[in-house]
Amino acid sequence: MKEKVKAQYMVQAAVIGSLYAAITLLLAPLSYGVMQVRVSEALVVLSMFTPAAIPGLGAGCFFANLLGPGGFIDAAIGSIATVIGAIGTYRLRNAFYAAPMATVASNAVIVGWMLYYFYAVPLPLVSCMLWVGLGELIACYGLGIPLARFLQSRRGDIGL
Amino acid sequence: MAIKDITLGQYFPGESIVHRLDPRTKILGTFVFLVTLFLVNRFAGFALSAAFIAGVIALSGVPVKFMIRGLRPILFLIVFSTILNLFVTAGTPIVQFGPLTITEEGVYRAAFMALRLMLLIFGSSLLTLVTKPITLTDGIERLMSPLNIVKLPSHELAMMMTIALRFIPTLLDETDKIMKAQTARGADFESGNLFRRAKGLIPLLVPLFVSAFRIAGDLAMAMEARCYRGGKGRTRMNGMAFSGRDAGALCVLVAYFAATIYLRTMGG
Amino acid sequence: MRIEVKGLTHVYSEGMPFETVALEDVNFVLEPGSFTGLIGHTGSGKSTLIQHLNGLLRPMEGAVIVDGVNIADKSDAARALRRKIGLVFQYPEHQLFEETVLKDVCFGPKNLGCTQDECEERALHALSLVGLDGKAFQDRSPFGLSGGEKRRVAIAGVLAMEPDVLILDEPTAGLDPAGHRSILDMVRQIKRERDLSILLVTHNMDDVARLADHVLVMQSGRLVMEGTPLEIFSEDAKLQTLGLSLPQATRLMNMLAERGCDVRTDILTLQEAEEEIVRAFI
Repeated sequence: MKEKVKAQYMVQAAVIGSLYAAITLLLAPLSYGVMQVRVSEALVVLSMFTPAAIPGLGAGCFFANLLGPGGFIDAAIGSIATVIGAIGTYRLRNAFYAAPMATVASNAVIVGWMLYYFYAVPLPLVSCMLWVGLGELIACYGLGIPLARFLQSRRGDIGL
Repeated sequence: MAIKDITLGQYFPGESIVHRLDPRTKILGTFVFLVTLFLVNRFAGFALSAAFIAGVIALSGVPVKFMIRGLRPILFLIVFSTILNLFVTAGTPIVQFGPLTITEEGVYRAAFMALRLMLLIFGSSLLTLVTKPITLTDGIERLMSPLNIVKLPSHELAMMMTIALRFIPTLLDETDKIMKAQTARGADFESGNLFRRAKGLIPLLVPLFVSAFRIAGDLAMAMEARCYRGGKGRTRMNGMAFSGRDAGALCVLVAYFAATIYLRTMGG
Repeated sequence: MRIEVKGLTHVYSEGMPFETVALEDVNFVLEPGSFTGLIGHTGSGKSTLIQHLNGLLRPMEGAVIVDGVNIADKSDAARALRRKIGLVFQYPEHQLFEETVLKDVCFGPKNLGCTQDECEERALHALSLVGLDGKAFQDRSPFGLSGGEKRRVAIAGVLAMEPDVLILDEPTAGLDPAGHRSILDMVRQIKRERDLSILLVTHNMDDVARLADHVLVMQSGRLVMEGTPLEIFSEDAKLQTLGLSLPQATRLMNMLAERGCDVRTDILTLQEAEEEIVRAFI
């Protein structure tokens, strides 16, 4: 029985990752680049429904970035940022409106730093972080919260 | 835009010596290369790095135009960064356009940053050009397996990544089918303001999520039916083994790294 | 509604290394009130073809002309005609998304601009056409239904748009023999009640023999055979080269004839076969 739960958890995580990557790829130019609003980041609210989303989103982000222009660095660091953010969002899941802030913060700090240090974006570190934070805010609150509210109402139908 | 047209990944097929290296070697190599780029403190160092990566590119058989293509997405960044560095850096002025000054230090810094960024992109995109994502995942799993000691389930993680990768095209297809079915019922995914478009996505998102979790459930059941028990005692069909090629590559890597350190410490 | 396909050609990924010719110079006519069977192997272009018929895809060359109007036009007339062509994809139950059956079936009519009352009326009609009691089902969640019920709800969703032509892509996929029979009987019933033309994409020769009055055979993007079922199924040799088989009854009669029995081979259904065997041997 324990194995069954394990397999199910793992596959659920995998599919969430697939969803993330697929949606990122579908909305290609917008999802990438220095000025990104990654619609798929809205999926981070899935970690408010199941912990399987934590590793899943990490994997999804890894592949989405790997297959995009940023390459390996973006993939490695971006996925770490996503996982940390997802853990935070999961922990805060009962504080519905506050939860996505964990993702916003995690991405702002980590990806912001990545842009500043590795990609040498010629802006002060804080600006890089704020810039990424802004994109995340739009995705997580503009799209994510409505998505979360929607998922909550249709939870049974969807299978979450 | 046909969803089928999205080419997955940037793998450039080939049988070169670089293609055939163990993925662990390639991951390590990329990592080392990227580290050296941040150890370099003068142009001589970049000359060495450039020579190194040029050599690997040549060996891999990947056409140069593919490498250049990898720069396209960050072209804007390079230009923007260069301009900013040229004008904003303080120091001894060379040219003056009214209030704007280009300094010697600015030129140096602009060139340095631009070069580093380009080599960075070359290095990391080369990895994905010569390694299939699935092989990369295998390599990551192997590299992470020592972490099993601290309870990191490297196998499950890698298995999850493999499955996620494998289902990306499936979900893209599913999205295509759903979009077509709903469009045939008169759905409009294109027009309207942001809010209306978001609402209009519901006939796409609900079936997509339902399909995704249904696929997940079916797969979990199928794996269970084949006695999947997680990573314990699991063997591989295609073993991964280091060969002479990898030993050679690692030697070259060590030599390059040492040379980079030398150049760094030798300079003033 | 008369659908004329002229010189239809469609290429995927044109100019790229994976360029595939999905359709090449396809020509045929679907007459009003006809029941056409479309057969061919996977990859023969069937899916691509049906997506052209309701305007989901635009032809690279050639045209789809409905009642004299090219449906690829940007005119209102063309758009109105496109909306009259209903397309039921494979596994249509995968398109269900609403909270209740009624709302889901109303989705199509809503998109056509019907008022709430009109939508509900159409929806209830459509549900009864597919054999579901509207009153009992309307407030249930589509996700709580059985597989067969879900499929019927999905089909009702297309019927609620009141098309003049109904295209069904393998509507019996994944069903057991009883379900298979049941869905096809439903299709026949729908055709009768609404006076539609039907285009049925299928792999099943027996169904084609039984139901269709017109058959199209595709291979590798080309229309290679066209005619009545009798005409098509009398060309055993040609069908074999296409990798297609005959209806069971026809095959049986052919086998008897080969062994020297004096029987007709222009037989399509088991009933005709039975009568002919009785006549010949008794």
